Amino acid sequence: MTSLIQGVFNQFPAEISKDFMGNNYVIKKGIKSKQAVMLAAHLDEIGLIVTYFDNLGFVHFSTVGGIDQRTLLNQEVIIHGREDINGVVSLVSREKLTASKKSFLIDDLIIDIGYSQEKTVQLVKPGDVVSIKREPFTMLNQNIAGKALDDRAGITVMAVCLNELCRIDHKHDVIAVATVQEEVGLRGAFTGTDRIKPEIAVAIDVTHAQTLDTKAQVNIQLGKGPVITLGPNIHPRIYSGLQTAAKENRIPYQIQPVAGPTGTDARVIQLSGQGIPTGLVSIPLRYMHTSVETISVLDVVDCGKLLAYYIASLPEDLEELSCF
Amino acid sequence: MSGNINLDFSLLKKLTQAYGPSGNEKEIAGLIMGYSKNHVDNVETDILGNLIIRKKGRGKRIMIAAHMDEVGVIVTHIDNNGYLYFSAVGGLNEAGLLARRVMFSNRCYGVIGRERKESEEEKSKGKYFIDIGVNSEEEARKMVREGDMAILTGEFVENGSHIISKAIDNRLGCFIALEVLKNYQGEDDVFFVFTVQEEVGARGAKTAAFAIEPDLALIIDTTISYDTPKEKYRTSLNNGVAIKVMDRSIIVSPVIKNWMIDIAVKNNIVFQSEIISAGGTDSGPVHLTKGGVPTGGIAVPVRYLHSGSEITTKLDIESAYRLLSELLKNPFAS
Repeated sequence: MTSLIQGVFNQFPAEISKDFMGNNYVIKKGIKSKQAVMLAAHLDEIGLIVTYFDNLGFVHFSTVGGIDQRTLLNQEVIIHGREDINGVVSLVSREKLTASKKSFLIDDLIIDIGYSQEKTVQLVKPGDVVSIKREPFTMLNQNIAGKALDDRAGITVMAVCLNELCRIDHKHDVIAVATVQEEVGLRGAFTGTDRIKPEIAVAIDVTHAQTLDTKAQVNIQLGKGPVITLGPNIHPRIYSGLQTAAKENRIPYQIQPVAGPTGTDARVIQLSGQGIPTGLVSIPLRYMHTSVETISVLDVVDCGKLLAYYIASLPEDLEELSCF
Repeated sequence: MSGNINLDFSLLKKLTQAYGPSGNEKEIAGLIMGYSKNHVDNVETDILGNLIIRKKGRGKRIMIAAHMDEVGVIVTHIDNNGYLYFSAVGGLNEAGLLARRVMFSNRCYGVIGRERKESEEEKSKGKYFIDIGVNSEEEARKMVREGDMAILTGEFVENGSHIISKAIDNRLGCFIALEVLKNYQGEDDVFFVFTVQEEVGARGAKTAAFAIEPDLALIIDTTISYDTPKEKYRTSLNNGVAIKVMDRSIIVSPVIKNWMIDIAVKNNIVFQSEIISAGGTDSGPVHLTKGGVPTGGIAVPVRYLHSGSEITTKLDIESAYRLLSELLKNPFAS
């Protein structure tokens, strides 16, 4: 992923660096260059990990992050071992198909790579990571579907934002961080924030969009603009600043109150060091943690622009933002 | 196996049989201090109770951590008849509690009992109590108060190649760290940290790593052995030391994992992989300290973890000892 990131962000007048955990930092200097605004979107995606092989050569596996296990059966996957190996997800026992079970979870499933145990052991090792084989494709109405849009959509938002910031003046340094290991416990953002100690931060992630089965619990809609979060995890002035920037620049947006901590990098960034004023913007997404995650490209572009205009509108001294 | 390794298993016996539930690790710290005092430059205990033993050197700051605490029970209520009610301290296996003996720090012993005529519904709620053989609350209170902790007893037995005891998790880790410490000849600045409160959320390791700010951390602990009759293929006894890949608290950096595997292969040390989706260890908080610490994990497979009758093998212990020694001879450079 790192080389891909550098490929995308190299086009900007910015410094790129990387830390031991794998976080990537893209630093774009501001005019005053006194204080730093952190943007954070996570690099990792949910996946699978090889645990052991049985005597027929089938590969058993566990999850990395909260993958939607119901959707795994009959998927094509790639085991990233000594070399990339294609496999298909199959059932431990066909008998279960006739049982009353509605879906199959991780313990019912195996990966078939078409080899005997002897050959499998040479090619695959316990601990090898498995991803789902899937190319993104474009749908009608500027929507796209694919794997890992959680949170490559957020990474794209950061690219759009930096692109905008090449055209408009901004006083403060912007450090866009592509964080690691969000899906297993917000780990990269935790150490990354400690390294750069920003004045303020905005995390970018995805959020559930309305589908038929979300009933009244989800009001966020695909294509209706980026989502601005508010609640105890979010600094009220960053929330209102983002809202003002959206209104002034006629960018459509949606509001999402979250009562507790958000399940995003914003959660650990806020509590880093002595505390950091933190905001959160999200891209509406359907079918989260499956290989057919669906988003609207318009939301991504709008979200990047919103962040750029917000950063450009920040006062000269960010310290005034830290008061309630 | 190459080389002659002479591990002093009588020390392991002393360590496993001592009393040290989470938050009450003093007895263990005392034993370790006594044993190590002739081999080290500096010994200190921090506010949480971590024992930090330093072998000074001019090289890298390396943290070796093993937790001292064991799972146990805490008394919550004493009834009129002198029965003690309790909660678990750490991840006790409740199904295995009935009729086990427990021991308090003052060497008061008890037996875990439950009502004979209990409905199935009541059983699932785990209405266990501790019977210390008294007739009244007053008598009980002479020995035990609310808040006192007890551990599951379990004699130390050397059964040929296998060892059976209570608290192999993780006095075995302390034991291996101590043996490595005793023989360490390198130039690095090595901190052997015997941590507290791992079983209740890896708490001691968190503050110790913050204070030490190591360049590299290696955590030594035990892990689940899956080789019971119906389950096989995964981590099992006699297959060597387990090199940590993933648990609920860490995904070990591939660079660290490969460094460990290379050293194991080069030295003909038998090893396997540890990949578990449940359970965390000290490696979790340690690798997330400040801007992040390169961290690896070494684990010895143990059957019946947290039961009071844990089983491990000498072959696995020796391969863990050898791996840790070799890793320290060729420390990872980022």
